[in-house]
Amino acid sequence: MKRRSFLQLSGMSLATSMLAGCRKGNEKLLPFLVPPDDGISPGTANYYASTCRQCPAGCGILVRVSEGRAKKIEGNPRHPLNQGKLCARGQAMLQELYHPDRIKQPLARSGPRGSGEYTPISWDAALQQLAEDLAPYRQSSSAGMALLTAPLRGSMATLTQDFLRHFPGATHLAWEPLHPEWLAEGMLGELGSPDYDIENTQYLLSFGADFLESHLSPVRYGQGFGQFRQARPTIRGRFSYIGPRLSMTAASADRWLPAKSGSEWALALGIARRLLQTNRQDPAAMQAAGLSAAEIANLVAAFDEAKVAEITGVNLADIRTTIDEAVSISPALAIVGEMVAWQSNAPAAIAAVELLNVMLGNLNKAGGIYYSPTSSAQLSSGYGDLQRLIGQMEQGQLQLALVYGSNPVYSLPPSSQFQQAFAKVPRIVSFASFLDDTSRQADLILPGHSNLESWGDIIPPAGVRSEVIGLMQPVVKPLHDTLAFPDLLLAAAKALGGELAQELPQNSYLEYLETDLTKRIPALSTGDSRQQLDRLLQQGGWFGPESEPARLGRLMPAKLPDEAEFAGAAEQFPLQLQIYPSINYYDGRSSHLPWLQQLPDPMSTAVWGSWLEINPQTAAQLGIAQGELVEVSSAAGSIQLPAVLYPGLRPEVVACPLGQGHSGGGRYAEGRGTNPLQLLAQLENLPQPRLNLGATRVRIKPLAQAGALATSGHPEGSYRRELLGL
Amino acid sequence: MNTRDKTYSAARMNEAMLSSMQPPTLRWYLLALVLGAVVAVGLYAFTVQLTTGMVVTGINRPVMWGLYIISFVFWVGLSHSGTMVSAILRLSQASWRRPILRGAEAMTVFSIAVAGLFPLIHLGRNWIFYYLIPYPSQYGLWPNFRSPLLFDMVAINTYIIGSGIFLYIGMLPDLALVRDRSTGWRRKIYGLLAIGWRGTAEQWRVFSRGSTLLACLIIPVAVSVHSIVAWDFAVTLVPGWHSTIFAPYFVIGAITSGVAAVITLMIVIRKAFKLEEFLLPLHFDNMSKLLLAVCLLWSYFYFAEVFTTWYGHKPIEWEWFSYMHDHYGLALFIMILGNTIVPIVGLCFRRVRRSTAALLGITLLVNVAMFIERFLIVVPSLSHKNIPFIWGSYTPSWVEMSIALAAFALFFLLYTLFTKFFPILAITDVREQEEALIGQQQLGRARVETLVNEE
Amino acid sequence: MTTEAKDIRWGMVIDLDRCTGCGACVTACQAENNIALTDQQGFAQGRNLQWLRIERYWEGEFPHVRARFLPMLCQHCDDAPCEPVCPVYASYHTAEGLNGQVYNRCVGTRYCANNCPYAVRVFNFTDPSWPEPLEQQLSPDITVRSRGVMEKCSFCIQRIRRGKEEAKLENRGLRDGEVQPACAQTCPPGAISFGNLDDPNSRVARMARSPRRFRLFEDLGTEPSVIYLKGGGHEHPG
Ligand SMILES: Nc1nc2c(c(=O)[nH]1)N[C@H]1C(S)=C(S)[C@@H](COP(=O)(O)OP(=O)(O)OC[C@H]3O[C@@H](n4cnc5c(=O)[nH]c(N)nc54)[C@H](O)[C@@H]3O)O[C@H]1N2
Ligand code: SF4
Ligand code: SF4
Ligand code: SF4
Ligand code: SF4
Ligand code: SF4
Repeated sequence: MKRRSFLQLSGMSLATSMLAGCRKGNEKLLPFLVPPDDGISPGTANYYASTCRQCPAGCGILVRVSEGRAKKIEGNPRHPLNQGKLCARGQAMLQELYHPDRIKQPLARSGPRGSGEYTPISWDAALQQLAEDLAPYRQSSSAGMALLTAPLRGSMATLTQDFLRHFPGATHLAWEPLHPEWLAEGMLGELGSPDYDIENTQYLLSFGADFLESHLSPVRYGQGFGQFRQARPTIRGRFSYIGPRLSMTAASADRWLPAKSGSEWALALGIARRLLQTNRQDPAAMQAAGLSAAEIANLVAAFDEAKVAEITGVNLADIRTTIDEAVSISPALAIVGEMVAWQSNAPAAIAAVELLNVMLGNLNKAGGIYYSPTSSAQLSSGYGDLQRLIGQMEQGQLQLALVYGSNPVYSLPPSSQFQQAFAKVPRIVSFASFLDDTSRQADLILPGHSNLESWGDIIPPAGVRSEVIGLMQPVVKPLHDTLAFPDLLLAAAKALGGELAQELPQNSYLEYLETDLTKRIPALSTGDSRQQLDRLLQQGGWFGPESEPARLGRLMPAKLPDEAEFAGAAEQFPLQLQIYPSINYYDGRSSHLPWLQQLPDPMSTAVWGSWLEINPQTAAQLGIAQGELVEVSSAAGSIQLPAVLYPGLRPEVVACPLGQGHSGGGRYAEGRGTNPLQLLAQLENLPQPRLNLGATRVRIKPLAQAGALATSGHPEGSYRRELLGL
Repeated sequence: MNTRDKTYSAARMNEAMLSSMQPPTLRWYLLALVLGAVVAVGLYAFTVQLTTGMVVTGINRPVMWGLYIISFVFWVGLSHSGTMVSAILRLSQASWRRPILRGAEAMTVFSIAVAGLFPLIHLGRNWIFYYLIPYPSQYGLWPNFRSPLLFDMVAINTYIIGSGIFLYIGMLPDLALVRDRSTGWRRKIYGLLAIGWRGTAEQWRVFSRGSTLLACLIIPVAVSVHSIVAWDFAVTLVPGWHSTIFAPYFVIGAITSGVAAVITLMIVIRKAFKLEEFLLPLHFDNMSKLLLAVCLLWSYFYFAEVFTTWYGHKPIEWEWFSYMHDHYGLALFIMILGNTIVPIVGLCFRRVRRSTAALLGITLLVNVAMFIERFLIVVPSLSHKNIPFIWGSYTPSWVEMSIALAAFALFFLLYTLFTKFFPILAITDVREQEEALIGQQQLGRARVETLVNEE
Repeated sequence: MTTEAKDIRWGMVIDLDRCTGCGACVTACQAENNIALTDQQGFAQGRNLQWLRIERYWEGEFPHVRARFLPMLCQHCDDAPCEPVCPVYASYHTAEGLNGQVYNRCVGTRYCANNCPYAVRVFNFTDPSWPEPLEQQLSPDITVRSRGVMEKCSFCIQRIRRGKEEAKLENRGLRDGEVQPACAQTCPPGAISFGNLDDPNSRVARMARSPRRFRLFEDLGTEPSVIYLKGGGHEHPG
């Protein structure tokens, strides 16, 4: 007899003896307990299509709205990028709409800068101030004004261009920390941005690309990864990851090759060497790229397995097997990512991986890479442009800064001098929705709508083979007294009058958007364009036909990367710091959303804070226990973080996620955790300056006190999977 | 009734034995006040919990049960002293039981009443505790009789009622005695309580039969109560709890803690009310032997439980066991010391058995160890359950500790009040003994007092 | 393939070879089911209310170290240990194989949580709160649970209901895959499938016959309705 049937029986006999007198009501026990299926039906909900703005990927969303309130965000199944799937960040966008600390009306600064003291003002007054601020720079070629935004595409790019054309001296800096500018610097950069055909490949090699977390289009690649693993009846895709840290993406690999920081490229050359040796390279592709087999053979000749193992610090057997697999399993696809790109030797290291892809004949091939050249306007700046702007600010050349959709005070390391220089700008106008690190410095805040209240067009930068224009539409009426930034630009144009007003006659951004879209979407110029637009809004955007495959021009022959350099003296700072984008907060833009704060980090399982990952061996040497507070110092600064013992990390590397440590952004973000960018020291004399998030040396010191660390996983239990039979 | 005068006059004896019921002294008031204050702190803590939620406790996932359930098991255990001990002694006609009976039976009633509070305090939604009671509702909803908690509810209530009746019936002749010696409204109340006891032969006959019958009935109830408490744990799938030995092991544990508590109380009462002439070394000696026996049994059960776990070495079972060993080493040590080493070694000696000072120390230690034992049953198993990822630990909060402490105060308060209003010695029983011929018998090297004429 | 309500046994298949540990499902569940927020202290004290968690297990030491992810939610055991111990029938079994939870009935003994070997039952230690206007995100389809009440994954019963209602309006049975819980719906790599295990042709029933199948704590006899598929390449033997 089963345990529970035994209990049932004994329970029943007990029950019957006790209930002899009241058996009548007992018969209805279960029918009352199980609510009737045809009972109360939930209220009907409407679904509105829009687009996610929590990272640049631009996934399509459907928002469930009932009773005029947005209730849940789901993936849009008709959107070709994410096909109904969504990451945690995308879903948490809902909380941005209803965030208790949103700025609810225009604010004028009333206390000292950074004090957070503001007086609410009317929109009329706010607009007038904006117009007054802008007026001196019209038609003036003196560099006194700058607009700081994230990289812009589509109608936002054209609108700001149309607007700024009338401010000839103005600088537009379109920069954000994780923008993959390095992709454009690579050999294949001119082809556009890549769509890795993960689902059709059989062997996947990631060179420090965390494509399931933050690299380019994580939902798209996550979906591809699922199919790569188990969608084909007889094929299970195999995956190796090379890089110093076992990231979440690396944890999904069959093999992790824990290479030294900045050494991953050696494996690419090792595979290239074997390809040529075994004559498995794609000669046509190499020829098209103008690569000579002999020259390459010469270049990679030294990279036998032992040499690769030596450079990378990975054991020989694993290197050998990986090379064997990469040359024998086809199609094999290499993806290069941020962990490589954020090292001093990046351009050459990236080129090495790209060379491998060319030799494997991966361009425009199933299981390879497709590039979709995007015709739409795109505005983005490099770190070099940013440095120039900082210089201007330092010298007091900048009188007015407008900041929209970017948080540079947070996302730039103090070693860049940005914060210091920014404070010298006499007038700062922000269009932020929150009093974040940057808008706290503003003199005037003109709060924008939240994403779910906004119009817009979002062009996915990667992951689609066809032209796609995702559309955003307001799914609810604006909750607060806010105005969208593009509407403000149009209003400012009106207020300023003249040519500017004539060239931007639209009364609203929606009008501008319609005009702009009509230029780019053929379907809109035929028939009833309003009706057509409604149809597109309904499905979530315009999903065009597959683009022409990109043609490869002649490539510069690759050159050997130098050894990676790190900022700080090795004797003083024995460890290397790897800062990585958090899957929950991306570059820190979503850390104000409580759902994401309390979503355990996939690897450390930590919530509501930041932490420093240390290899247990290193921690043991330094006498550091899990959760203990440590002081991390670099040439640039020093911060305190609780330690997480992290076995998936090279002993000489420590790692810290990006995204916490805000000085603003509302109750859930402010003062929570620590911003590791404070440690980032600048590397000098780099040909392509950028945020090298993996190239700083640090030392750590235990502080013998507990840090604020909460993890969802038990530190010891996390090692006891055998108890589950897993 | 034999009224032959022996050492004392009947009147003097009654006087002495009723000494506890004399008007309260200042010391008594002070004691009651202190106890009342501790109870009040507990009440306050409970109010905090009631209005804020279980967040004020140390309860968490995975340790969903804590100090309240530990206290519950402890107090249920303690309640096994009394009624059960006294019933066994009655049935086995151990004459030395007589002065102990009342104190032990009262202890049962109060400890089970205190125990009964804990499941209610423990509920997340205490205010709808009555969902647990089978009452006819308009929805036709009944509680789930398959749940051990329902068994508990039934068993605890049965035990409260049963042991209450047991105490009351045993007290009838004494209540009549008090009635006869009091005046005014007191006389009325005691008169009501004594329900017309006049001590006729027929009444004595019925009384004696009834007592024996009740004693027979209460033993299986007591055994079942603690078996059921054990099944709260044993029928689950929790590693460390799911064990067939739990029911008898819990019963023995209960008796151990109960017997020890009876001895402690005897010592206290004897001192407080100067009852040295009634509570003789013989009584302590015999009770100590009983304690020694149950400690031996308990140790055997514990060894059997631990040995099979250790020998089987089933990974998850071994896990909670090593967790207990690593994190509660000191507690484990005190438990073994208090439940096994000290009582078993100490009580082998006649001098110890007859020294109230030594006994006080030992019996208090036994109950401290027993409390720890309950903690070690509840907490380590839950802390390291089947899913290692969410392993945890447990530290009781101030709210839980205040309430657990208040339970002790409440118990003593009730007891103190009881001694003021009811005879704490079973006067008629004692007198019956005193009046009987006392014989002595050589047993081995010992001379043992026996009652020769008890039928 | 359509089925009538009476031969439904809801089940879930989770392919560990697809799961990347990304946590999208956790947030989906939280958003769908009005799950209250837990602060850092709450987490530290083991009072997280999420109905679904991704367990991360470490294996081995550097450099031969792996991490495995295991999405853990109520297994909707056919022979659920949480049910018989509940004194008030708050934890009960539905005709379609769900382990249901009647919040109004629960008195908060927390017995069920002790007896759930999967430790997926979470308890409301205090009343949930959402600072204004965050409460406007709450779904009208699901109640907000008060303090003292046990809760856990419901297999998104509100979605099952809605699916059935829609099917009924169209006078047909439910189609395979028509009902998708929030977690399955959002999971980027498609690791989670949901459907009727009693329909041999349903996707879940077919997947459940995979040689990679296993259930957690099979030896306890709980008969879970969640079937895992082993992550398996050459590095994942078995
Ligand atoms: N003074 C005054 N008197 C009035 C009126 C007035 O405006 N003022 N209005 C009149 C009118 S229009 C009406 S319709 C009547 C309404 O009069 P009633 O029908 O008495 O309405 P209520 O008091 O709203 O609710 C009745 C009971 O239903 C319970 N209940 C709630 N939900 C459920 C459920 O799901 N199941 C069950 N079984 N019970 C549930 C509630 O707890 C409550 O005890 O009053 C009339 N009387
Ligand atoms: S990947 Fe980026 S765009 Fe897509 S859902 Fe996640 S945050 Fe949004
Ligand atoms: S997994 Fe736990 S909560 Fe769910 S049915 Fe099984 S025992 Fe009950
Ligand atoms: S906590 Fe609620 S559901 Fe669980 S056993 Fe107790 S009453 Fe039942
Ligand atoms: S089935 Fe629904 S309730 Fe269960 S874990 Fe998934 S989303 Fe949450
Ligand atoms: S969403 Fe899917 S892949 Fe991500 S953790 Fe959940 S089950 Fe795994």
